[in-house]
Amino acid sequence: MKSKLLLALVSITLAGTAAAQIKPEDAIKWRQSGYGFMAWNMARIKMNVEGTYNKEEVIKAANAIQAIANSGMGALYLPGTDKGTGWEKTRVKPEFFTNRDAVNKAAMAFIKEANEMAKVAAAGDAAATKEQLGKLSATCKGCHDDFKIKD
Amino acid sequence: MNHEKFRLWDLPTRVFHWALVLAIVAAIVSGQLGGNLIDWHGRIGLFIVGLLAFRLAWGVVGSTYARFLQFLPTPGKVGAYLRGEWHGEGHNPLGALSVFGLLALLTAQAGSGLFANDDITFVGPLFDLVGKNLSNRLTGIHFLVSNAIYVLIALHIAAIAFYGHVRRQNLVRPMLTGWKEGTGESATGGGALALILALAVAGAAVHGASGAWLPASPPSPPAAETPNW
Repeated sequence: MKSKLLLALVSITLAGTAAAQIKPEDAIKWRQSGYGFMAWNMARIKMNVEGTYNKEEVIKAANAIQAIANSGMGALYLPGTDKGTGWEKTRVKPEFFTNRDAVNKAAMAFIKEANEMAKVAAAGDAAATKEQLGKLSATCKGCHDDFKIKD
Repeated sequence: MNHEKFRLWDLPTRVFHWALVLAIVAAIVSGQLGGNLIDWHGRIGLFIVGLLAFRLAWGVVGSTYARFLQFLPTPGKVGAYLRGEWHGEGHNPLGALSVFGLLALLTAQAGSGLFANDDITFVGPLFDLVGKNLSNRLTGIHFLVSNAIYVLIALHIAAIAFYGHVRRQNLVRPMLTGWKEGTGESATGGGALALILALAVAGAAVHGASGAWLPASPPSPPAAETPNW
């Protein structure tokens, strides 16, 4: 009992320091990198459904998106990182940090469609991939519309 | 009962008007829904570029009441209208302000859209001309202008309702049939040659906006040149 309690305490402390050790600038950089890398993979899938369909390419791209979607990127949205510069100035809106329910909902919708994208890609049907890419894109937009600053 | 009537809106003006109504509705819906419809949003935008270019040309070579000079809203005319001393036909001076306002905003909207991006997979056909940073700015403008367009459309419809209920004047019917009851002079001009010219202007505008004339992006290096992992 005592050791369990101690373990719990240690884990909480470690988790706390781990989060605290991320510099805001790094957090912003890493999340921008995540979105930038996903952009390549979204573009790849799009090129494949519009041009010659290469099943292996689409699987690689969809798996990359799925991995990022399930990587727990929420951890990079540290309090106070509504302002700051990573690779470029962050474009997240302050509302992202105050409207957690809506953000969570948008994030869950995205993760769900990203998982589905990987499944559809594995099946290798071009038309189904195109349709799923549309659904996945719509979940990106679901967050951009409300929580991304338009210059 | 007065059965006199005259030709107000020529056929190209009416087709333009209702095609623009449908295109704007389609653009709003596709823009709001996103997903795969964003590609349609882009195509509809190009169609709207064509409609606007057509109307700008038709405002010069079209028939009487479609011409910009006929309804140019000078301060004198607007003042006279507000004092109830304006007795013309066609767009009244205040309505003319709204027409020019809508044409300007829609041109800004379609124009900015050509360079826009959605940070997902869509880029406008002329994106490559401006690069990502300027594209982001223009995308922001694209969102802002859409709100202004909503306001002007609401005003446009409210004015039609006001004329219908208060002034007892049906503005919609002439835009459908081309005829207006009353003793005005029928529109003249805007013949086949003018129509061909305006359509050519529209076609050229769509071609320019589509980016089809842009040099093809450099061919990507053969796969063998990139590492195989």
